[in-house]
Amino acid sequence: MTISWIQAALLALFACLSSMPGMGGSSVGNYTLGRPLVGGLVCGIILGDIPTGIIVGCAMQLIYIALVTPGGTVSADVRAVSYIGIPLAMVALKSYGLEADSAQGTALATSFGAMVGTLGTVLFYGTATINLLWQHIGWKAVEKREYKKLYLVDMGLPWISHLICSFIPTLIMCKLGANVVELIKTALPMDGLAMKTLFTVGALLPCVGIAILLKQIVKKAADFVPFFFGFVLAGTMGVNLVGATIVAGMFAIIFYKIKMLSVAKPAAAGTYDDDEEDI
Amino acid sequence: MAKKLSKKTLLKSFHNWYYGHLTCFSQEHMQTFGYLCAMLPLIEELYDDEDKKAEAVNTYTAFFNTEPQLGSVVVGITAGLEEARANGEDGVDEETINGLRAGLMGPVAGIGDSLVVGTVIPILLGIALGMSTGGSPIGAIFYIIAWNLFAYFGMKFLYFKGYQLGGKAVEFLVGPQGEAIRESVSVLGGIVIGAVAATWVSVTTSFKLYNDAGEAYLVLQDKLNEVLPGSLTAAFVMLCWYLMAKKKMSPVKVMLLLVVIAFVGVVIGFFNPGLAY
Repeated sequence: MTISWIQAALLALFACLSSMPGMGGSSVGNYTLGRPLVGGLVCGIILGDIPTGIIVGCAMQLIYIALVTPGGTVSADVRAVSYIGIPLAMVALKSYGLEADSAQGTALATSFGAMVGTLGTVLFYGTATINLLWQHIGWKAVEKREYKKLYLVDMGLPWISHLICSFIPTLIMCKLGANVVELIKTALPMDGLAMKTLFTVGALLPCVGIAILLKQIVKKAADFVPFFFGFVLAGTMGVNLVGATIVAGMFAIIFYKIKMLSVAKPAAAGTYDDDEEDI
Repeated sequence: MAKKLSKKTLLKSFHNWYYGHLTCFSQEHMQTFGYLCAMLPLIEELYDDEDKKAEAVNTYTAFFNTEPQLGSVVVGITAGLEEARANGEDGVDEETINGLRAGLMGPVAGIGDSLVVGTVIPILLGIALGMSTGGSPIGAIFYIIAWNLFAYFGMKFLYFKGYQLGGKAVEFLVGPQGEAIRESVSVLGGIVIGAVAATWVSVTTSFKLYNDAGEAYLVLQDKLNEVLPGSLTAAFVMLCWYLMAKKKMSPVKVMLLLVVIAFVGVVIGFFNPGLAY
């Protein structure tokens, strides 16, 4: 499987849209196009093999299911995972002659995702740094009272950052894809130490994402109890994610009512709105 | 004559936030420019005098960063406050607006991260992954539709709710009721994150001890499962939490440490992903 210039350019365009901070905006860009599952569909359409794209995307999505970027600290770059990692993994699967949904195929996709995602954080810091230039122009515009220019600064000029840090790297990596895969194949055999380590890292990485989320919630040891409750619900008792959410919602409501009782005033009308949004 | 923002301008402001809150991100100013662009249409409509306009724009040059989906409510609140300021209402000035923005960033980010990124997205992705098993695009399409409807209409609702409630929304968010909501959301988030960890994260060991006959008499993974299924996963999550929350390590450093742990683990046979051609 080879990737043509046009295909590589299309993938590069999606990389520009999807990264955090992407040109698609964070709802459409980061949280939709940037998710490896959606990236798998897009790459599958562009490269003309949707099932393989989706399977590879699913495998990579598992590593990054709880990817959160608190205060702009990024532990993996979604544009690199979805639009460099997935195409390369697809090429690699064909080159190794592996079935995408075999255990080895999934392992290969996962280790590619972990590798590219971590290396890709360079692209994130690069984009954010170049954006400082445009922001400098922005402050000048505020001083001179040329407010219309701010739109250009916020929504136009960052395209240049992405041309440098998203478009070109993706274009080159995808175009050289087959060669890169060959290189990895000879340098890092699948049963070698490097690949084993990489794959183990792929299994350990989600722990970081989960821990980042927990950091927001857990302040003292007792705060770990809800986490373990959920862990046991799904891990030991076999409740699925939607089921666990419903149980969690029930506990949240009880907790809220008790809390409001201890606050002198009874709950005002309209408070249940916020609980509804969870589902 | 009281000034009133038109629906059209409010929508424009909302869309500027919806699209542009992170497009010009830098580590130094984060969402500040997105915020400025969201406030510009409002300021252009509210003030004719160039000096007043400059004063208003200047208010929003202060640093801003929060969880952007839920943060929509903060932009809505300031839209309401800016309108009040333009009408010369008492006690609404640059200081109150920025005090409020600074005060809301943290709590909103806390709720937003555990609710949106920690709960809604993993659940939607979890459902979608199930639907896409075997390579069907239906799961991905489901996620695209469900998430975008949720994000767009949720953010729009929050923006206009913030605009209507104005100062009252602040009381609601940082008052005792807001605190009760925050704490119940963290219970909800904690449980769901636990379920996500148990469902999708799996750290296992291949460590075994063999007797003379070559039979394994200690399979560590089985023993760990007897204690609690997935206990190794939970242990690694807690280790990462400890390093970041208590030892103040950055996520990138924790990941590098995990690479070292993985390498050592593979060398001593603690980890073996079982790869082969």
